[in-house]
Amino acid sequence: MAARTITLDPVTRIEGHLRIDAEVDNGQVTRAWSSAQMWRGLEVILKGKQPQDAWVLAQRICGVCTTVHAIASIRSVESALKVAVPMNANYIRNLIMAQHSLQDHIVHFYHLSALDWVDVLSALKADPKKTAQLAQSLSDWSGNSEGEFKAVKEKLSSFAAGGKLGIFSSGYWGHPAMKLSPEVNLMAVSHYLKALDYQRKAAQVIAVVGGKNPHIQNLVVGGVATAINVDNLATLNMERLSLVRSLMEETREFVRQVYYPDLMAIAGAYKEWFKYGAGVTNYLAVPELPEDSANTQFSLPGGVITQGDLAKFRPITSHSDAFLVDNIQESVAHAWYDGGAPLHPWKGETKPAYTDFKPDGKYTWCKAARFAGQPMQVGPLAQMLTCYAAGNARVKRVVDEANDKLGIGLADYHSTMGRHLARGLRACVMADVSLEQLDRLIANIASGDQTYANPVEIPNGEFRGVGFHEAVRGSLSHWMVFKDKKIENYQAVVPTTWNASPRDEQGVMGPYEASLVGNPVADPENPLEVLRTVHSFDPCIACAVHAVDPAGREITRVKVV
Amino acid sequence: MKVLVLGAGNLLLSDEGFGVHVVRYLAQHYVFPEAIELYDAGTLGIMATHKLEEADVVYLVDVVLAEGAPGTVLRYDKEDFMLSRVPVKLSPHQAGVQEMLLVSELRGRCPSEIYLLGVIPVSIEPGVSLSPLLAQRVGEVADGLVTELRSRKGLSISSC
Repeated sequence: MAARTITLDPVTRIEGHLRIDAEVDNGQVTRAWSSAQMWRGLEVILKGKQPQDAWVLAQRICGVCTTVHAIASIRSVESALKVAVPMNANYIRNLIMAQHSLQDHIVHFYHLSALDWVDVLSALKADPKKTAQLAQSLSDWSGNSEGEFKAVKEKLSSFAAGGKLGIFSSGYWGHPAMKLSPEVNLMAVSHYLKALDYQRKAAQVIAVVGGKNPHIQNLVVGGVATAINVDNLATLNMERLSLVRSLMEETREFVRQVYYPDLMAIAGAYKEWFKYGAGVTNYLAVPELPEDSANTQFSLPGGVITQGDLAKFRPITSHSDAFLVDNIQESVAHAWYDGGAPLHPWKGETKPAYTDFKPDGKYTWCKAARFAGQPMQVGPLAQMLTCYAAGNARVKRVVDEANDKLGIGLADYHSTMGRHLARGLRACVMADVSLEQLDRLIANIASGDQTYANPVEIPNGEFRGVGFHEAVRGSLSHWMVFKDKKIENYQAVVPTTWNASPRDEQGVMGPYEASLVGNPVADPENPLEVLRTVHSFDPCIACAVHAVDPAGREITRVKVV
Repeated sequence: MKVLVLGAGNLLLSDEGFGVHVVRYLAQHYVFPEAIELYDAGTLGIMATHKLEEADVVYLVDVVLAEGAPGTVLRYDKEDFMLSRVPVKLSPHQAGVQEMLLVSELRGRCPSEIYLLGVIPVSIEPGVSLSPLLAQRVGEVADGLVTELRSRKGLSISSC
């Protein structure tokens, strides 16, 4: 059979529009193209604005990754002006980062990707009693009673009878690649519904600590504007900090007792997916959760791994490490921009030049981010592998424990399922570090430290800075050049720029593209396997147009040529 | 009874930010009782489900890509969401409003009334300002919404 090209557009479930073209020959993908279908425009909007205000607009790039852009933006000004951030401010920011990660990982696993693996219609055939026995054998979470599963099954059945399962039923139910038992499916669907309560708790923590959710209000250059006084009712006081603690404990319980066991059950049932989807096995993660005021000591280390070889790990020691700052470039050889050779982000240009989709020419709005000339995979997998290679005890413990349970090794992580596993393990880590950061904040306040910001005036003159952040979806950097208090150049190299990047000058594919090559596709009309691999990256083309479409038009097209 | 006014949209894509502009206008021009919450959701998607579930009555303000002249304001209710033909989708869980409502209903927590006030945009190109036409609609939609809310029992809204 001749090779055929399938086009999936869009494939993202949240932000923006991602189009994937995959050439399928003999039941597997032979070539692939990743195309961002929207232009972000942030860089152009920020030109001429004041550097200290950029974070407010930057967190509007994306509706899901709000706080991460705020953090990276404010850090870029702090880096330019070499402002030390007081420890109270770092603990508060760390708390926000960790809780945002948790909220996002829970939603990604259950609401944005689990249904690639879980068959809702099969859950209708499950025996609630057996489901309860199964779930209770996996964890002693209180929500795993026979009554709970029975209620969910009844509700699902009544929806199905009324034709209301539309949101689920147009999916891949009955696809030959679906293989969980009805009981595991019912358990997963039930937890899918419950998970919304726990992502909400994380959002509540962010709202209490950051002033508002989804867009935090409490950042200033040099720290945070959070008013904390343990005895004052009008501020973040002891009572509200206790609320934060109990919310975080409940979410940690959910991650340990529900998310983690569900992930183990799904990974265990789909072990062949540890063989597919490796793609680019160069990994980049920046160190995160600062433990000092100059961003040189971190709870979670960072670094670079090349060719999937942990022995080739090279650490990144700080956010100003020249090895990190100097090695990043973006290529527009295959992106819809004018320009020549790859440019460092401080010199970056944003000159749109749309040409239509040309597989051998320009085919995306996403630039090709490269590190020392190489494509890099970023995200929870990159962070877990670099932390492991750096010998971080906390990460080693969770990775080794999961490997024992599943009977897998580190080599299996370079895969579609490896990305899901790493994200779940990162959620476990984030749940723990959240409580640790809160303890440190309270201890620091108790020791008499009352400083929350080292305020600075933006001086005249020319400055450039970069704010790094190991965000939910991977390494993020905001690059800013400002002169006489006005922004001259702004470039955001977002995690998806790394992962969704197109080919570069040398024709080397980006991570999404490379991960699809060799991916099986049983039925080109229903390319569930392609979605599994792309979704495992947690794609988010940060530029959403999300206009409601009342006509009920076809939202995603599968076109088989 | 709890009322949620949820403004959705991306402030960096000109008219796309309409819903957020309306929520901001409401906050600047009126004083609302505790039973009414204004919420700037940005482009939050499914992560805003819990906000809907906390309310009995929800007004979503957003742009809609519908046939018609730019600036036209269209109104939809819960029936429209629940009973309209479900879009054919590749992804079984692309997170739109309809999905959020169905998931909420499965959870037994769907708000009893939900309305979408949707305006047809002029431009969704990058930019932080609304088009002149939609800038004019902000006040009209907001004031109209306040009139409607005032007609409900027990909600007193004052101007500021």
